[in-house]
Amino acid sequence: MSTHLVEVVITNKAGVRDPEGETIHKHLILKKGYSAISSVRTGKYLLMAVSANSSEEAIRIVKEVCEKLRIYNPVVHDIEVRLRA
Amino acid sequence: MPLSTEEVEEIRKILGREPTEEELAMFEAQWSEHCSYKSSRLLLKLLPTEGRHVVVGPGRDAPAVKLFKDFAIVFKIESHNHPSAVDPYDGAATGIGGIVRDILTLGAKPVALLDMLYMGEPWDPHANWLIRGIVKGISDYGNRIGVPTLAGDTWFDTAFNTQPLVNVACVGVAPLSILVLGSPKPGDLIIIMGNATGRDGLLGSSFASKPLAEDTDKEIGAVQVGDPLTEKLLIDSLQILVSRGLVKYVKDLGGGGLTTAISETCADHGLGAVIELEKLHTRQKLTPLELLVSESQERMLIAVEPSKLREVEEVLRSHDVTYSIIGHFTGDGVIRVFYNKAMVAEVSAKELARPRAVRRASYPPTEALKGLKPLYSLPPEPSYEEALVKLLSSPNIASKRWIYEQYDHEVGVRTVVKPGLGDAAVLRLLDGSSRGFAVKGDANPRYTSIDPFNGAANSVAECFRNLVAVGAKPIAIVDELNAGNPEKPEHFWYFEMMLKGVAWITEELRLPVVGGKVSFYNEDYRGRQVKPTTTIVGVGRVDDVSKAMTMDLKESGSLIAVIGVTYPELGGSEYLFKLFGVEEGEIPRPRPASELRNAAFILKAIRLGLLNAVHDISVGGLAVALAEMAVLGNLGVEVSIGSVYARGVQRVDELLFSETQARYVVEVKSDRVEELKKLAQKLGVRMSVVGRVLDKPIFTLSKSSKTILSVDLDLLKDAYNSLERAIEGGA
Amino acid sequence: MPRIAIVKFPGTNCDEDVRHVLVNVVGLYAEIVWYKEFTVNQWDAVVLPGGFSYGDWLRAGAIAARTRAVEELVEARDMGIPILGICNGFQILVEAGLLPGALLYNDTGRFVCRWVRTYIERPRGPWLALAKDGQVLDMPVAHAEGRYYIDEESYKSLLLKSPMLRYLQGFNPNGSLYDVAGVGSEDGIVFGLMPHPERASEAHLAPRGFSPGGRVIFESLSYSLKRGW
Repeated sequence: MSTHLVEVVITNKAGVRDPEGETIHKHLILKKGYSAISSVRTGKYLLMAVSANSSEEAIRIVKEVCEKLRIYNPVVHDIEVRLRA
Repeated sequence: MPLSTEEVEEIRKILGREPTEEELAMFEAQWSEHCSYKSSRLLLKLLPTEGRHVVVGPGRDAPAVKLFKDFAIVFKIESHNHPSAVDPYDGAATGIGGIVRDILTLGAKPVALLDMLYMGEPWDPHANWLIRGIVKGISDYGNRIGVPTLAGDTWFDTAFNTQPLVNVACVGVAPLSILVLGSPKPGDLIIIMGNATGRDGLLGSSFASKPLAEDTDKEIGAVQVGDPLTEKLLIDSLQILVSRGLVKYVKDLGGGGLTTAISETCADHGLGAVIELEKLHTRQKLTPLELLVSESQERMLIAVEPSKLREVEEVLRSHDVTYSIIGHFTGDGVIRVFYNKAMVAEVSAKELARPRAVRRASYPPTEALKGLKPLYSLPPEPSYEEALVKLLSSPNIASKRWIYEQYDHEVGVRTVVKPGLGDAAVLRLLDGSSRGFAVKGDANPRYTSIDPFNGAANSVAECFRNLVAVGAKPIAIVDELNAGNPEKPEHFWYFEMMLKGVAWITEELRLPVVGGKVSFYNEDYRGRQVKPTTTIVGVGRVDDVSKAMTMDLKESGSLIAVIGVTYPELGGSEYLFKLFGVEEGEIPRPRPASELRNAAFILKAIRLGLLNAVHDISVGGLAVALAEMAVLGNLGVEVSIGSVYARGVQRVDELLFSETQARYVVEVKSDRVEELKKLAQKLGVRMSVVGRVLDKPIFTLSKSSKTILSVDLDLLKDAYNSLERAIEGGA
Repeated sequence: MPRIAIVKFPGTNCDEDVRHVLVNVVGLYAEIVWYKEFTVNQWDAVVLPGGFSYGDWLRAGAIAARTRAVEELVEARDMGIPILGICNGFQILVEAGLLPGALLYNDTGRFVCRWVRTYIERPRGPWLALAKDGQVLDMPVAHAEGRYYIDEESYKSLLLKSPMLRYLQGFNPNGSLYDVAGVGSEDGIVFGLMPHPERASEAHLAPRGFSPGGRVIFESLSYSLKRGW
């Protein structure tokens, strides 16, 4: 058993609005002239330290936690679960 | 709900041809239960809606009542039950957004928000998730738009574990002279201001018109995300537009999106419209059909005279409010919708918005008998101390501080009686005078699920008493009827009886029902309805906010009196359920004549300065009301319950916990008690002086000189403040 | 007649409350100015009121701090114009560097709205001219990001020179370091606080057991604009 660091990134699904991202983009970034940036999406980041026999198992555990405990709401959110590089 | 074959045939007849895809979508949105009220329309005619204070009755986006001769109060109630079951945070938040915009349509300034939440038990994991999400959603949205959220109501019950009821209300005030009551004219431009239209919330009204599918994770089309920043900009810019006289007609884009906004406006004012859909500002590429029925949030329609356009655009641009000019009104009563010059819909506005009515079958299920059963063999009486502590820590009674401290209830500097201390909230008008108003939301799902007629009547009465208890004269109410599937006779029966209960008692109390809503299809995928619930929001006039009453005991040495008669009415009580798990029996009888008499007495006594504190008696009965007053005032009491005016009472628990209607507990100044007695006699009111307020923090109840209950106030305080533990430590 | 500007950003929602107190309770001339139209040299004092500028997106006050209006306030710092930041206004001043420290999410993880008891330490400058050292002021808070944070070094220098507002024992609603509820520049000309003094300036808005402790701040301003500070 070893400790694996697993990252969870939660964002709004593509069809769901992201007012925070839109406001940061429109009222801060564009207003200050950085038109090179065409969009901003925001999300929540979690870093979990998991004791497991393999990185695959660690990822499986984190995915299960996110589903069962409603860490994200599958109706509105997408999640990305990945091993920390 | 997709249109039935009969409805499609009807559309063919109306148009005299095959309808286009867009026209079908428009009819489906407009004829959905949520927008057309087809199942409830006929019965709703039973409600008394007129009164000499009523300025705008049901029919417009929000009702208005004369609060004082120069000021109107505008208030409305809405439900967002189905979205909140699927996405509690956004469902509740967008409910707030919608109700506030309705108040804006009359040009009134929103000054209070109320949340009436009927949710599951905090120790159920799914219900706990819903509770937190709903409260956070309301908190994040309401706080950002700068309208204080207060005077709400909550109920925690397993029936709502997966299907919460989220009813929200908003109150606005406006000088009578500026209420926006105009109509658009042919030639006026149609401007949609606010957020860009997207695919979110597609056919949301249709979603609210069918039972929740088994796999709610697939319901994404109906989820709408709120944007309170845009809402605040809408509120600010509309206030400017209205105050400068630049806009005479405002409509919210709510259920049914653009379709219902246009059709209702046109039908109400005998107009037609020419719409160029491609001009609508959007977030993503949408088909004409999607543009017509999308329910994207934070959008409003304004009718603008062409000569005023430039000034309007200046205000909108300066406030960073996006908008598009999508067409104009005509005088021919026909709505013509174009997309890139091609006509996609051509419908008579009156036909589209014509009120539809369906006669539903209505039949009581055998279950309804439990409300007719007199309670005969009650279990043996428990320890009264244990009972009182259990009741005070019941989520339905305990302090709701965990909730209301998440709401900014002070913004606007109007809130004089704050949440937690009064039976209702009291706000000042802030016009330089001491005038103000009181507002409160109430319901009792247990009562209405046992006896819908009397239960609904009691919900009205409870709201009435709560307003009176703070010193306000009740002037009008709005109601939200939450029921099951109208196509099932045994669900519809509950709706019908609740409505009849409201119609009956409001006439007896002379309280006009100036508006209201109906939410059907509150059932799960197994076809079980939640507890049918009648939510009442009432407003009352306060002539002097500095005289407003709170319920906390103020002064040791004062006397305590009970107003009204106590009967043995434990049916449907919190006591019976919490202590014995029983939820049946004859619920307390509504007593409108006593309500009127006792209310007149309380209001007069407050005006004469005879009282220190007033609390109405409701859930939990007399003992709970006394305990709440003691805990909040941090003062002990010594009460002889044998002195309570009662009839037919056989057991002590009946005296302590019966939920008989039309009763109050008052703290009366010791040197004014004779005056109070004389007033009671003169007004024919039953009053019994039962005890006094003590210096030491002990709560004692006795009967015939025998102590039946004596506890430290700290123990009661701890029980009363247990809701946070239940929710946070819950799942 | 001295003129006070109440700067309003998209999402600011306590502007009218502040104007009500300044005009109707204290008798000063005050105007709500939309951020796009604000220039500092027309005004004798500036208030940044509470609310949720830009929805509190990114961080509370972060986006407003980058507007031209706030940049002007920073550039005009040496003009010595009194600036008060209330709640979101305090967050904006901190993000703009006009006051030290940072305001983080409440330790309870929740928005909190309740009355608290605070006391003044080392009153100095126009906003605290009528307050005494150690004076207790009751006011309500209403915020989600009010936890004051400052590194130890900077705190040591604050402690020696700056006026401060602290939560009394048992009244810290958010876990603020050192119980800091508000802080001022060394000369007291810029002052920021999380509690809302405009909600505590009239007796009948104070709940039982509390008194209107916010009034002294606005009355101090009135006094200072007449007599100097």
